[in-house]
Amino acid sequence: MKILIVEDEKELSDGIATYLKSEDYVCETASDFNKALAKIDVFDYDCILLDITIPGGSGLDLLKELKANNKMDGVLIISARNSLDDKITGLTLGADDYLSKPFHLSELSARVAAIIRRKNFDGNNFLKFENITIDTVARSASVKNRVLELTKKEYELLLYFVSNKNRVISKDAIAEHLWGDDMQGSNDFIYTHIKNLRRKLVEAAKADYIKSVYGMGYKFSAQ
Amino acid sequence: MRLFVKYNLVNVATTVIVLLLSGVVYYFFIEHALIHQLDKSLVVEEKEISDYVNENNILPEASFTKDEQEFYSSINNDEKVTRNFSSVNVRKENKQGQKLYRQLEFPVTVKGKIYHAYVRKSQEETEDIVQLILKITLAIVLLLLIILLIINRFMLNKLWRPFNSTLNQMKRFNVSGSNDVYLQLTNIDEFKELNSAVYAMTEKASRDYNEIKSFTENASHEIQTPLAIIASKVELLSQSETLKEAEMNAIQSISETTNRLSKLNQSLLLLAKIDNKQFNKAEEISISALLIQHVNNYEELFHAKEINITKNIAGEVLVIMNETLAETLIINLLTNAIKHNTVKGFINIELAEKYLLISNSGKVLNVNPVVYFERFKKESTAQDSMGLGLSIVKRICETYGFEVDYNYSDGVHSVGINF
Repeated sequence: MKILIVEDEKELSDGIATYLKSEDYVCETASDFNKALAKIDVFDYDCILLDITIPGGSGLDLLKELKANNKMDGVLIISARNSLDDKITGLTLGADDYLSKPFHLSELSARVAAIIRRKNFDGNNFLKFENITIDTVARSASVKNRVLELTKKEYELLLYFVSNKNRVISKDAIAEHLWGDDMQGSNDFIYTHIKNLRRKLVEAAKADYIKSVYGMGYKFSAQ
Repeated sequence: MRLFVKYNLVNVATTVIVLLLSGVVYYFFIEHALIHQLDKSLVVEEKEISDYVNENNILPEASFTKDEQEFYSSINNDEKVTRNFSSVNVRKENKQGQKLYRQLEFPVTVKGKIYHAYVRKSQEETEDIVQLILKITLAIVLLLLIILLIINRFMLNKLWRPFNSTLNQMKRFNVSGSNDVYLQLTNIDEFKELNSAVYAMTEKASRDYNEIKSFTENASHEIQTPLAIIASKVELLSQSETLKEAEMNAIQSISETTNRLSKLNQSLLLLAKIDNKQFNKAEEISISALLIQHVNNYEELFHAKEINITKNIAGEVLVIMNETLAETLIINLLTNAIKHNTVKGFINIELAEKYLLISNSGKVLNVNPVVYFERFKKESTAQDSMGLGLSIVKRICETYGFEVDYNYSDGVHSVGINF
């Protein structure tokens, strides 16, 4: 899987690249309009992370260029502008998703994974982790062909964990993923959800994949 | 009071006073001039009588006509007669009514004997003329008044048309909209000046507004990017396998604080955008549907805190407002009710025609609930409260003229909105 990060802040694009590389993505970066244009002309990417304000032009123009050339690359706009106009314009121009800065890397990673899943034409909408299978079209999870009885939020939580397996995910990131920006600070609420999901997974999969990481959050891993 | 009413009042009052004054002055002058004329003709009569006496040495015959009277009375020689003009009322011959005469009395000496001579001429014609003048003056006053009113009514309306058009354009001017002002051309200097001032002002307002708007966005951009870098580095750091407990605590603390800072920045940005009226697009929003959708979204949160939720949501409560703001309003109200609730508490949502009341159990309140609407006021120092949620609610309500109030009694907090 190849990902292009179009972002002029080197520190940020490095951070994103480091996080995504450990998910087995191949990451390239472009720090301005022309470099990005040169890359998208020559290569195909599974997903392009696009900042709107970049030196030498607008990320939205890059998006137009992509669509004009019938490129099928998935596009995730990451913008600090958090302006509704930009969001609407971006999505109308054919971007797949929009994430405003600052964001959690775990959220970014989950969104990228979702875009790539949708873009894949081989109809593979199954996500596997050990003996758990997630059907992202039916929005259900099963263990050894036995469907798990999950609430909507528990399903989202499981998908988020699997998209960020072997990573420490902060409680803030989980709360925001489940309830949006405005429930930030309600970390104590997620405890119940984690507890319920863990119980159901332990019953079905006979393994406890959800690990608490002292003080920081949770980690979904087989070890 | 309208300018033209006030102008009319002054104008009409002055005109009436001046005309009436001039009528009075006119009256006295004319009367004086006419009487002077009468007196002159009386002097001519006097001269004729004197000439007649000198020639014939007898008095002329007394005569009493309608317009003129001449008669004499003999007096004792020790009496003195002085020559004198006067106006006298004389009883009419048929004894009905009186008639005003101008009279000249003078002494006439015939054969050594002194007679008292009277010459009178009717003053009635004079009075008639004076009265006519008075009537004409009054008629002119009346006519002038009517003409003035008509002129003012039509002429002033026409004259003020450029002003009214400019005023309408200014009323319609919206600094955040793209509607430029188009002012009517006029050849009146004052209105030209007004129009050029309006052009200059609206242009400056638009320019300043755009500057502020881009400044807000730029400032947000400048702050968000470093925040994003910090957040990403902290998240990477937390992936390390070799962290000690103290380091984990520090990382968690940095992570939470960064998160708070970025949410604070976003809230401030939202407030600035509402203040700058950047959410202009309005449509019909179903508050009922919005409430149900978000209550469902938070359902698991209610369970987690064992909050008992009761709702009484009327079918289709429709409000014309911006979609984003409507959503922000509902989310802020609900999250506020959840965050500041107690374990095993309750939330009660009542939506009736044009009125929304959300009440919830919560901590005992020590301050006036009104301060919750001010920025950065909060009861607890808990980090989960940004203190901006309710001021955002208030600003949104103010934008659409909704009444909003916060009440507290016996551990029950309630926010009511009158759409």
